[in-house]
Amino acid sequence: MVNAFSCLLKKKVTETRPLPEDEIEQLGKEIKQEIDTRFGRSLAIRELDAGSDNAAEIEINNLSNAFYDVERFGITFVASPRHADILLVTGAVTHNMETAVRKTCDAMPSPKFVVAVGDDACDGGIYAGTYAVFGGADTILPVDLKIPGNPPTPTQILTGLLALMRAAGKKS
Amino acid sequence: MTSQVLPDDDAATGAIRELFGAAAVPARITYGCNRECSVDVSEPEFALAIPYLASRKFVLIGLFCVERFRERAGHSLLYVFERKGSLLILVRNITDARATSIATIFPSATWPERECRDGFGIEFDGAFDTRRLLLHESYPAGFHPLEKSFSNTPITTTTINAADEYPFRKVTGEGVYQVPVGPVHAGIIEPGHFRFSVIGETVFNLEIRLFYTHRGIEKLAEGKDPRDCLKIAEAVSGDESVANATGFSMAVERLSGITVPDRAWYLRTILCESERICSHLGDLAGMLTDVAFPLGASQFAVLREELVRENERLTGSRFMRGMLCIGGVNRDISADALAEFRDFLVQFRKQCKVGLSIVLSTPSVIDRFSQTGIIKKPLLRPLNITGPAARASGGAVDVRVNHPYGIYDRFSPAPHFLRDGDVLARFTVKAAEIMDSLDLINRVIDAMPDGAITSDEPIREGCALALVESARGQNLCWVWVQEGKISRYKVRTASYCNWLAIEHAVPGNIIADFPVINKSLNLSYAGTDL
Repeated sequence: MVNAFSCLLKKKVTETRPLPEDEIEQLGKEIKQEIDTRFGRSLAIRELDAGSDNAAEIEINNLSNAFYDVERFGITFVASPRHADILLVTGAVTHNMETAVRKTCDAMPSPKFVVAVGDDACDGGIYAGTYAVFGGADTILPVDLKIPGNPPTPTQILTGLLALMRAAGKKS
Repeated sequence: MTSQVLPDDDAATGAIRELFGAAAVPARITYGCNRECSVDVSEPEFALAIPYLASRKFVLIGLFCVERFRERAGHSLLYVFERKGSLLILVRNITDARATSIATIFPSATWPERECRDGFGIEFDGAFDTRRLLLHESYPAGFHPLEKSFSNTPITTTTINAADEYPFRKVTGEGVYQVPVGPVHAGIIEPGHFRFSVIGETVFNLEIRLFYTHRGIEKLAEGKDPRDCLKIAEAVSGDESVANATGFSMAVERLSGITVPDRAWYLRTILCESERICSHLGDLAGMLTDVAFPLGASQFAVLREELVRENERLTGSRFMRGMLCIGGVNRDISADALAEFRDFLVQFRKQCKVGLSIVLSTPSVIDRFSQTGIIKKPLLRPLNITGPAARASGGAVDVRVNHPYGIYDRFSPAPHFLRDGDVLARFTVKAAEIMDSLDLINRVIDAMPDGAITSDEPIREGCALALVESARGQNLCWVWVQEGKISRYKVRTASYCNWLAIEHAVPGNIIADFPVINKSLNLSYAGTDL
């Protein structure tokens, strides 16, 4: 009881957001605009590691830290492909992941977009032409956009997503 | 390769003397540059040596196959043992691709034996587990990618029939049901399959199946110029880029007798420790996310991002990629940049402490962490559990202390050991190691010497072993260079060993605690699957 009261009365632990960055803010504003008009205010992304070295996963995860906090722009990372608008594929597609990659993409409802994130997902990268991989994501999936980088930074990933939505807007 | 004579009290030399008689020392021993002592053994000698080494508490830290080694046809199996800072390599030359299994005596041989079977087609007599490991069902039968006769080209895979599907351990009984998870998980993580056998909510058995991201790293390096392979070493595991690049360049430098300038080693050490801090901060944040304490989690996630940005400022890459080269580092870091970095770390350290005090004074967090996912000490040696996971279970293992490399003999980290072996212990050890690495970086910056950052000595032929302490523990790297090209690149990361620990840590806990146990070990799938 005393604890509850002191919690109510105590100074609140709030901090200003670390560095308001113009680049991210501007990018975020444009992304939000696109999401609001085309995706009913919410863009659901499912991430799929098809054989990556985990660097791209780390950067995609970083999109949710307080510096980027992309959820405020309307981007959510979802647990199931059935809830997703976009599939972010990382890594060159390995033979061992083939079935899982196909099933994940098939489980997504249309309309859907597939984005390859990182050099390996774009064209197989250093693994191109070797025994263990098919190559880039486009060898087995219909890829709509490629974001190169080893790995691409969070800002580059966001820029890519914005470009994808704009291109989709022009088509429709 | 330089060799040095060791004092007689070296555990490995002592073992050879006792096993093969005084005449074998030093006649049959080759000392490597890592002070490792390597001996070719015949089959009867090998059969004698294995139980002896087990009784003398040697740990099997590596087992891999090499083809056409020591100018002979056929395969050689290299068994790397460790005891009290001394290393012993038994070279077992086998014929007809057959060998006896030692997995019942050294359980840490189970996966490597299956790996040799997939990679080279070697059959292990008496092995209790002969299922495929690296190559899943879609690979054709009789395909062994690491054989020299196979040139690395795309292959045609087969469709998987229900009958060929991977047989998991069967757990049956009243009320037992299975929960299959993966390979695609709910979060943004790497792929792997977990098969839980559950009674009520309690996990009764856990079996893991990995190697979904097997991308053929070892084969990829074959036939390439060692200088071009740093990129491959960095791709072993993204968050261990520096550690694996260090291991690889160290091995090549050792086999070539290249002396790395002091300044280069000082810079490398800063990068290695910075990578360790990044990784540990990610783990702390992840563990807190998994017990639903976002306040603490976002504190550490913010700190991690700040450090990653500093890394980018210092090296031009958020993952510090492309910094290392054979013989040193690719680009210098100016004194001003280092001074700025040190100032940044002062503030950073304070923030870390604030975060930790919030977490450690939150009873709901401690309640979830404490007594969860216990790894018992007797498991450490048989499974070669390493890194913070071992140190949280009372194991005094740290490559930087046991086999100091670079400048770690002068800048030794303070050891942190806890006995509990639960998630809380791993959290505490990692938190302490963050502080420790911060101190270490400070000391290194203070003592930073001037001078060259790279050596232009040539790469020679030969093979060498290198051990490095990555954020997750001991990474083993063995490189063999022939005619200026990589003939074999073997890398065994800490994750490869520690994955087996999770099968023992999870049973008895509820499924809902699996994520936090998994995160507390923070194992790399990519670094295991290669």
